[in-house]
Amino acid sequence: MAPLSPYTYIQCPCSDPGNLSSATRSSNPSSPADEDCFDPRAPRSNYSLYPLEYLLFCDDCHQIRCPRCVAEEIVAYYCPSCLFEVPSSNLKSEGNRCTRSCFQCPVCIGPLSVSSLETQPESNLLSAPDNAPAPHTGPYILSCSYCNWSSTEIGITFDKPNNIHAQLAKQRNGGTTRLTAKERKDRRKDMAQSGLRSQSPTPASPAATSGTGQTQEPLDLETQFTNLKTFYQRQLAESNSSHGSSMDLSSLGDLGFASPNSLSRIMSIYTGGGLHDKKAKARAGVMREALSPDEGLQLSDLDESPAIAHLHTHGHAGTITTEQRLAQPPNLGEPHLHGATRFESTLRPIPYLLRTKRSKRCPICRHIISKPEAKVQTTRFRIRLVAGSYIPSITIKPLNNPAALPETLEPLKPVQYVLTFKNPIFDPVKITLASPSKTPGRFGSKVTVLCPQFEIDANTDVWDEALKDGGDASGTSRKRQQQQQQQRRGDDGGQQAEAGKIWERGRNWVSIVVEVVPASLRLDRLATTTTGKGQDERETKEVRDDDDEEEEEEEEEEEQEDRKGKKAIVDTSPLKEDEDVLEIPMFVRIEWEADSVGDDMLGGGSSAPARDKDVKEKRELAYWCVLGLGRVRQD
Amino acid sequence: MSRRPPRGEYIETDTGNKVARKATLVGTQNIILGGKTVIQPEVMIRGDLIRSVQAQSSSGGAPASNTAVAIGRYCFLSRGCCLRPPGRLYKGAFTYMPLRIGDHVFVGPGSVVQAAFIGNHVHIGSKVAVGESAIIKDYVRILDGSVVPPNMVIPSFSVVAGQPARVIGEVPEGGHEAFELRDLYKTVGNNPQPAPS
Repeated sequence: MAPLSPYTYIQCPCSDPGNLSSATRSSNPSSPADEDCFDPRAPRSNYSLYPLEYLLFCDDCHQIRCPRCVAEEIVAYYCPSCLFEVPSSNLKSEGNRCTRSCFQCPVCIGPLSVSSLETQPESNLLSAPDNAPAPHTGPYILSCSYCNWSSTEIGITFDKPNNIHAQLAKQRNGGTTRLTAKERKDRRKDMAQSGLRSQSPTPASPAATSGTGQTQEPLDLETQFTNLKTFYQRQLAESNSSHGSSMDLSSLGDLGFASPNSLSRIMSIYTGGGLHDKKAKARAGVMREALSPDEGLQLSDLDESPAIAHLHTHGHAGTITTEQRLAQPPNLGEPHLHGATRFESTLRPIPYLLRTKRSKRCPICRHIISKPEAKVQTTRFRIRLVAGSYIPSITIKPLNNPAALPETLEPLKPVQYVLTFKNPIFDPVKITLASPSKTPGRFGSKVTVLCPQFEIDANTDVWDEALKDGGDASGTSRKRQQQQQQQRRGDDGGQQAEAGKIWERGRNWVSIVVEVVPASLRLDRLATTTTGKGQDERETKEVRDDDDEEEEEEEEEEEQEDRKGKKAIVDTSPLKEDEDVLEIPMFVRIEWEADSVGDDMLGGGSSAPARDKDVKEKRELAYWCVLGLGRVRQD
Repeated sequence: MSRRPPRGEYIETDTGNKVARKATLVGTQNIILGGKTVIQPEVMIRGDLIRSVQAQSSSGGAPASNTAVAIGRYCFLSRGCCLRPPGRLYKGAFTYMPLRIGDHVFVGPGSVVQAAFIGNHVHIGSKVAVGESAIIKDYVRILDGSVVPPNMVIPSFSVVAGQPARVIGEVPEGGHEAFELRDLYKTVGNNPQPAPS
């Protein structure tokens, strides 16, 4: 199993059940107790934990926002291959794919490039560079330079090297022409006119009116739909005119598939309500179904012998995978039913799906928190409020050998980690940490935060740092050397890390030490570890003496866990996926004093009244985060 | 500067480039380094693969650019990677085209890059193959072991992986700073400094 590098995930408050229902929150107003303790393995947590980079920050609500809770607005659509912007008006008419010459290989999804078939042999002769430029004439093909697929395999060539999309729309696989959507529309109009003319004498015998050989060629979807629509409209009109005669059937017909009521209802759903006639509700009567292609009858082709024959000749190598089938674009006007494309010969080049640039809004106050420049090629952002510039980043390193990460954590062997908090804001912040002394889940590892409360200096200007660098850097480097010497002497890690003391501090960062005793993953030990746990915890409590809050919290936890231990229903099912990953939930509370901005700060995390404008305002922000340390070795 | 008694592992130029002595740079006159670029040992840059057919427009004027590989500032070429200008048929004859790389581009160990253009702030993982004439725009992350097919265009803020490579995600808004290579630049050289925590 791949070793895991330490990570920090932060919980977005949008998924906090406390935010969803205020009642549960008020019942337990104190610091998070054990049942409130965030469980990183709970299924719900999957949706709320994000690395810091993915989180945004609403400046007005003073809250973290995650990709799941922000409201997105599309700024621009563009093709990811040619990087041209597509106006949203085109999007409605042309669909969500690039209509230039950008295609993906239907076999490997690599990009297809247009090349000429004619010049290919000529270039093999390695003609001199001063030769006249080879005329790019003759048929062009789309070819994939990754898997060597080319459009000749499906029998498609192009006359021009540009506007491939339109050329492709006119060709079926094998090179036969295909009607474009517009041509089909024209044809439908003609048919509709001829149908209208022939309607008056004998509406029930359309076979006589067709006679253009339509029956051989299967109808495309649009034609079928319009044929059906006109047929049913006609039927509705007829039943309207001849109503009264079949009133007694209404009770039955209302539910039937062929009843005008349900038909008009269905049609109003699919055509946008234009056909829905209020009066028609009163009418009833059974209508007949479509009988001919002109009325929209499409006999489904249940004869699979050609497919079987194809399979006989080409074998399974000629069939396509599910991914390839799913990547196929719906061909407008062609039936794209399940299993319709099963062979490589039926694949079509895939026009690139368009991509978007999106701006993001806070879901609560509707302020924009991220807005890219509308131009496709620029990478600048007009607004970009990322959480990384508001809340401290947390990095995790093993204390003893910061360079080499251990492959796996040894069970029941204490390890110490250095957590480095880096303050991004220009005010000094006070940080309070809280973590359960035992990680939630079946295999509880013991966790001791040696210094749960500390202050980090402000993130001053880089210039200040540069000017100060001379004196400061030497100090820290000396300390580092000392540490290294100590480590070289083989000192025990526990001696160095003192409880309640900051491990190391810099300009805008502070490192503290967390001691972890990974749990044993042996299932037979599950029962013993749950009972013999109480005493250890009392020890850890003594170590952590700074914070009153912390202590209360722990007592609560202990009580809870003791109760649990007495119940002792031990789940001894085998190890579940990722249950060996040691994850520590940690509650982080940040307090700082910021310049008060104005009266619009009444909501959110500000606790002080925002009346006095010059007075510094006290702010706080609190959230859960999860420190992933690594996998525990299974013994 | 480089003739100091204890010969360092790197040659450090006036513009701040750190070129490992064990790197193989072929055709150095056709390679442009923007400054503060790190070239680790066993890196190969094929500067000898220059354009053999001059473009019509540039042949008339001043000596056409003979640049084969142009690299911007703060790039980091890890051990064992290879930069190779892409070759293609131009008007019926085979020629190489220049490989242009922007600023803050990280190329992971063992990767082979034959792109035509790489923008700024691009991270290419280890053992990646970037196919010929690929275009990689700004803020793109290519994960380890990907094979970018030839002629592929990767738009900005894409996370790319797979064989053949496909866009599998977007670079989040808060992840832009992670592409900065200024700190990494300081950690290598003849007197490397430890990375700031």
